[in-house]
Amino acid sequence: MKIAQQTTENTLTLSLDGELDASSSVLLDTELTKPEVLDYKKVLIDCQRLNYISSAGLGVFISHLQRFQDAGVKLVFFNMQEKVHNVFEILGLDALMTIVPSEAEATAI
Amino acid sequence: MPVRQKLTAIVLPFTVLSWLILLTSTLLQASPEAAARVGSPPEWVTLLAQAAFVAGVFVYLRSRPDPLRGTDFVGLLRRLVFGPGLLATVCIGLHLLERLIQYEHPTADRVLFACIYTINLALFVIFLAYTNYSWRSLVLFRSAARLRRDWLWFELLLGTTLLFRLFAWTPPMPVAYFIMGGLAVFGVYLSGNQKWVAYLNRRQKWEVVFMQVALLLCLGIFTLYFLRIAKDPKLVAPEPQHAFLLLTVFFAGFYSLAGLLVTFFNLPTAGVFEQKREEILSLQRLTQLIQKGQNEHEVYQMLFEAAIQTVEADAAWLDVETDGEVHTGQLFNVSEENVQAIRTLLADYNLGQIEYLNNDLPNSNGFRNLELSYGSLIVMPMRSAKRQYGSLYMLKEQRQSFDRENLGILQTFTSQTVLSIENLQLVAASIQNERVKEELKIASSVQDSLIPKDLPIDNWFEISSHALAAKEVGGDFYDFLHLPGKRLAILIGDVSGKGITAAFHMAQMKGIFHALMQENPLAKDDREKFPVPSKFMSMANRALTHCLEKSSFITAALYIIDYEHGGFVFARAGHCHTLYYHSIKEEVSYFHTAGMGLGIIRNDSYEKHIKNQFYDYNPGDVMVIYTDGIVEARGAGQEEYGEDRLLQMLEHTYYLDADEIKQRILDDLNEFSKGQPMHDDQTLLVIKFKAAQPEATI
Repeated sequence: MKIAQQTTENTLTLSLDGELDASSSVLLDTELTKPEVLDYKKVLIDCQRLNYISSAGLGVFISHLQRFQDAGVKLVFFNMQEKVHNVFEILGLDALMTIVPSEAEATAI
Repeated sequence: MPVRQKLTAIVLPFTVLSWLILLTSTLLQASPEAAARVGSPPEWVTLLAQAAFVAGVFVYLRSRPDPLRGTDFVGLLRRLVFGPGLLATVCIGLHLLERLIQYEHPTADRVLFACIYTINLALFVIFLAYTNYSWRSLVLFRSAARLRRDWLWFELLLGTTLLFRLFAWTPPMPVAYFIMGGLAVFGVYLSGNQKWVAYLNRRQKWEVVFMQVALLLCLGIFTLYFLRIAKDPKLVAPEPQHAFLLLTVFFAGFYSLAGLLVTFFNLPTAGVFEQKREEILSLQRLTQLIQKGQNEHEVYQMLFEAAIQTVEADAAWLDVETDGEVHTGQLFNVSEENVQAIRTLLADYNLGQIEYLNNDLPNSNGFRNLELSYGSLIVMPMRSAKRQYGSLYMLKEQRQSFDRENLGILQTFTSQTVLSIENLQLVAASIQNERVKEELKIASSVQDSLIPKDLPIDNWFEISSHALAAKEVGGDFYDFLHLPGKRLAILIGDVSGKGITAAFHMAQMKGIFHALMQENPLAKDDREKFPVPSKFMSMANRALTHCLEKSSFITAALYIIDYEHGGFVFARAGHCHTLYYHSIKEEVSYFHTAGMGLGIIRNDSYEKHIKNQFYDYNPGDVMVIYTDGIVEARGAGQEEYGEDRLLQMLEHTYYLDADEIKQRILDDLNEFSKGQPMHDDQTLLVIKFKAAQPEATI
C-alpha cells in the first residue's frame, strides 16, 4: 500500500495505491489523524489504484467521517473501481459519503 | 581385570616383606655374632631383596591414581615437596643421629650403621618413585598417544637395568656406557615435555620455581649421603642397584632442572600470558553474567564494566541507540562535555558508526584541538545484521596503548552483548506472541460457543449451515430463534476487526438478538409483538453506539420467516446481499436492498438508512445467506470469488437438497481458492423452502 499526497491551497489529495487491509489501514489512519488535515476545505481520495478495501480500511474512513463533518471538511472519493464501490454500497456508505466518478467532478464540488 | 587387581593388592605386602628380608640380611652381615648363630645369608639374597623392594615400590606407585588433579600443578609439586621431599630431612636426621652416637660411644659395631643405611635406602627409593610418577603426570599432561608409548618404553628399559646387578653381570664397558648413555638421552628427551608450565600464572610460576629448587635440594641431599656412605669402611651391604638408581636420579633431577629453567625463563612473559588468560576468563564471566542479565540495561552495564576491566581503560563511555536516537548509557571518568566533543568530531569525520582505533590522539587532526588528556581511543560499534545498538568508547591516557588484540576482544564482547540483547528481545517477543495466541484461543472458543450447535428442524424448510473460522479469529456469527406462531428468526452478521474484541462484540450481538426478540406484552396485535427487522436494527444500532470503538462496525441481516403464511421479511444492515432462487420465475437473483451497517451512524438518523423487504416464497425457493469471507475469498491470481460465481453456482444446484447445495458451493469455493491462505471467516447458510407436508405421526 502506497499513499501519495498532493496539496493545493484548499485541497488535500491522497492517492491510494494497492490493498487497504488491516496493516496498511494503520498508515492511512496516521495520515488522516494529522491535525493539519482539518485545515483544508476538501480531502479527496483518489481510488484509481485501490484494488481492495477491508473492513479495517472502511473503519478508518468511518471513524474520521464525523470529525471531518464537524470541522467542515468535505471527504470526497473519486475514480473508484467497481468492486471497491460495491463494498461501499453494500455497507450503505454510498449514502453517507460523497463518491464521484472523476477528479474533475471531485474538484468541482 | 581381576588378576591385575589381585597382583596390585599383593604388591604392598610383597614390598614390605622384601624390605624386611633386605634389613635382616644386611643386619646379619653387619653382625658376625648373629651370623654365627643363624648363618650368614648369601649375597644373592640381599641383591634379590633389594631389587624386589625397588621394583615393588615403583610398581606400587605406578598403580596409584594420577597425582595430578585437573590443572593443579602447584598442588602436585607442593604435595611432592612436603610429602616424600621431607624424607630427605629424616635421612639427614638419622645420619646425624648415628654420627652423634658414634662420636659419643665409638664402637666397631656396624649394626646401627647398617640399620640406618637400610632405612635411608628405603626412603630414597620411595622419594625417587614418588618424584618419578609425579613427573610422569607432567610429561603426559595433554600428550599424544606416541609420547605415552615412549614413556612406557622408558619405564621398561629402566626396569631391565634393575636386572644388571641381580645377575651379577655388568655389560662390557663400552656397551654399558652405550646403554646408560642411551637411557640418559631418552630421559633428556622426555624432559622436553614441559607443556604444563604454560598453564601457570605469574604467582604460580614463582611458587613452582621454589618447589623445584627444594626438590633438587632433597635429591642432592640423598645423593650426597649415598656418595659419602659408599666410601665408608663400615658399609657391609652390597652397593645398591647402581645403574637403575643412577638413571632414575638423573631423570628426576634433569626433569626438575628443565622444568625449573623453563618456568624461570617463562617468568618475564607470564604477564602477557596472564593478560590473555584474564581476557578469556573475563569473556567467560561476561557470557555467564550477561545470560543472567534480566534487561538491556543490566546487559549494557556488564559489558561496560567487563570492557573497562579487560582493556584497563582510563576512561570510557557507552552510547546506546534506541529508535534511532543516541544517548549516553554509561560514563566512566569522562566528562559529558568531552563525550559530546569527541562524538561530534567523529561524526564530522564519518567515523561514528565504525570500528576505529587511534593510538595518537595528540597528533591527530581534530583531536589536537580538543586538548584532551587522553592519548588513545577505541570506538567499537555494537550492531547486528538488523540494526545498530550503539557504540563503546575506550580511552587511555598514554599514546600507543591499544593494540589489535584489544580491538579483537572488544569486538567479541560487543557481539556477545548484541547477541544477548537480541535474545532478550526474542524472549520478550515470544512471550507476547504466546499471550496473543492464548487470547486467540479464548476468542475462538468464545466464538465457537456462540454458534448454534442445533439447527431448527421443521418440515416446511431445510436448513444447512457451514461456519469456518480463519486462523485469526474473525467476527462471523449467526443464530436462530423460534418465535411463537410458526415463525423463525435468523440473524447473521460480521463484526469488523479480529481477536478478542470481535468475539466480545459477537457475544454482544447475540445478547441484543435474544433480548430484542422477546414478546412485547403491550403490543396491540400479533404482528407487533416482535420488532420488525428494520426496527430491530435501529434498536441494535442504538444499543451498540456506546460500546463499539469508533472505527468498528457490524454488518448484519435479520430474517423472520413466517412459514404458516409462506412469507418472510428481512432487513440488511450493510450485510452481503441475499441470494435467492425464485422457483416460479426459475431465476436466480440477489435482493438488492439498501441498508447501512450498524455503528456507522450513531444517532437516530440511522432509521432512515434501513429498510424492510417482504417476500412471499414458494415451495422450491432457495435462499443463500453468507458473509463476505465467501465472496471475498481469493483465487490463485488474487481475484475474488465474487457474487457472480456464487449466483451461477445456485443456478446449477437449486434443485438439490439444502445440504447438497451447500456442499457444491463449498467444493467450488475450495477449488477456486486452492492453496491460498484463508483471510476471513466463512459462513454459509442455505435454506430451501418446501411445500407443507403433514407432520410425521409418531
